[in-house]
Amino acid sequence: MPLVKRNIDPRHLCHTALPRGIKNELECVTNISLANIIRQLSSLSKYAEDIFGELFNEAHSFSFRVNSLQERVDRLSVSVTQLDPKEEELSLQDITMRKAFRSSTIQDQQLFDRKTLPIPLQETYDVCEQPPPLNILTPYRDDGKEGLKFYTNPSYFFDLWKEKMLQDTEDKRKEKRKQKKNLDRPHEPEKVPRAPHDRRREWQKLAQGPELAEDDANLLHKHIEVANGPASHFETRPQTYVDHMDGSYSLSALPFSQMSELLTRAEERVLVRPHEPPPPPPMHATGDMKPIPTCISSATGLIENRPQSPATGRTPVFVSPAPPPPPPPLPSALSTSSLRASMTSTPPPPVPPPPPPPATALQAPAVPPPPAPLQIAPGVLHPAPPPIAPPLVQPSPPIARAAPVCETVPVHPLPQGEVQGLPPPPPPPPLPPPGIRPSSPVTVAALAHPPSGLHPTPSTAPGPHVPLMPPSPPSQVIPASEPKRHPSTLPVISDARSVLLEAIRKGIQLRKVEEQREQEAKHERIENDVATILSRRIAVEYSDSEDDSEFDEVDWLE
Amino acid sequence: MAGQEDPVQREIHQDWANREYIEVITSSIKKIADFLNSFDMSCRSRLATLNEKLTALERRIEYIEARVAYQLEPLCLDLELTDSSWESSGHSADIDQVLTM
Repeated sequence: MPLVKRNIDPRHLCHTALPRGIKNELECVTNISLANIIRQLSSLSKYAEDIFGELFNEAHSFSFRVNSLQERVDRLSVSVTQLDPKEEELSLQDITMRKAFRSSTIQDQQLFDRKTLPIPLQETYDVCEQPPPLNILTPYRDDGKEGLKFYTNPSYFFDLWKEKMLQDTEDKRKEKRKQKKNLDRPHEPEKVPRAPHDRRREWQKLAQGPELAEDDANLLHKHIEVANGPASHFETRPQTYVDHMDGSYSLSALPFSQMSELLTRAEERVLVRPHEPPPPPPMHATGDMKPIPTCISSATGLIENRPQSPATGRTPVFVSPAPPPPPPPLPSALSTSSLRASMTSTPPPPVPPPPPPPATALQAPAVPPPPAPLQIAPGVLHPAPPPIAPPLVQPSPPIARAAPVCETVPVHPLPQGEVQGLPPPPPPPPLPPPGIRPSSPVTVAALAHPPSGLHPTPSTAPGPHVPLMPPSPPSQVIPASEPKRHPSTLPVISDARSVLLEAIRKGIQLRKVEEQREQEAKHERIENDVATILSRRIAVEYSDSEDDSEFDEVDWLE
Repeated sequence: MAGQEDPVQREIHQDWANREYIEVITSSIKKIADFLNSFDMSCRSRLATLNEKLTALERRIEYIEARVAYQLEPLCLDLELTDSSWESSGHSADIDQVLTM
């Protein structure tokens, strides 16, 4: 619908009520019309001045560019005359050492920002009624956000997208680090001591309640088995989803009610994050998910099922609910999962159902599920991850980043769990999804000390596994904790191991704070007008398999 | 009857004349408004083509400058150019420095 940019003010010349007590009405009308004509002319002249002003500004900027271009051309002509073809000495060093030529591609960004609104439209906008002055309440808020943002936030979508991009780039980088470390040290996970995990896990367990706390042990065992089994399979894209979905192992064995609860919680978390109540999507998703969870009972089958959620969730909102990714990967996934199930030594006892029936059941409801995740992750574009991805140990993010993690995590549980039936419960604490992720490292760590009595029963919210480390973080933690070790090792001769564990715990805390600080610093550096850097991050994401993390860092530093 | 018609008739005639006058003025205002709109649009389209040409030129110049700079770099160290800007460019391989000088 085209907006009228400039409206000449007195629209109707003589649509006014005549004053009473006038004898010659015709003359009165004439005079009124003439007066309105003069007003119209005045507004016309104002708009004409505005039009010419805009054109002039544009032409003026062009004149600057043309002048600079002229100077450059002059300089170039001078330098070209000085070029002497005889003296060209292009050694190999020069060719390789020089920075590659990159033309500056200036992209248009922030086109429809408030600041770029033309003046006449701004005036029209000002004529409208103001929103309620909710910003008065801002000083009384605990979370430091503006009150008006809850009512109307023009930058909402951009902020959402920016968070998403930042999160994805972080995940990508961690994936790459993990891949490298996993390639380098495939056996280190077994040596990680388990003691440091307990404290935070206990806290998180308490936070979530006793019912969910039991399943931690099961998760650990499962993850240990699965992680050590198909460790050779590496897929960059699905890994993020795998990590997020580490807790999904437990989801399979849960009753539908619990699964649906978790899923709706996850959904709500995604929607609540932007500080807006989740309206229809959760209901949609809940309705669609029901049939599928039945099929997702096999623990290993979850691995393959998981990536589908990102596949579906990542497609833009307006993609029709055709059954693209879900049906084909599902049967293949389940088949591969069945193979893996045979591979794993101790398949979880409560898990069981055979893959074929789930495959058929899955295909039927495959159509409805896609729209649900679509609604939850609107407008987010990601390549569909390949469906095969064994759960790999990955460094879990710090708890502080639980909130951004929740965004990606809930999308994954959706198609997998896809259990619904319960009304969306109140937004849960952001612990469960981060808890899900750390569970995998925890399980890997548990391998070193075979848990007694750990059962691979699916656990819903694998407790508050605080971002505890898998193989790589402990190595990183150790150097960080070294400065603290010096005072601690002095009095210790008998309890060297406990001291070491304490030092590691402190190192873990140090690492977490460092990461938080890094995150905050990055967020401060990155301002809203850095959409180009954000688009670069997209490039980083898509170039995952080929480029190393160096590329990421280069982009970050640019 | 004739007496009554005259002043009324005169008034009505006068009113008609006034209305025609107002109509002429308003149609001129509309023409001015149309002219302004079309002028605005045509100007914007011309400025846009100008912008395109400028960007194309700028990119070409960047490329040429990069080529020339790479050619010249090994020369700068040998030739000892008197031009200070080119001397400074000889110390770094960065295109940006060469361009901004």
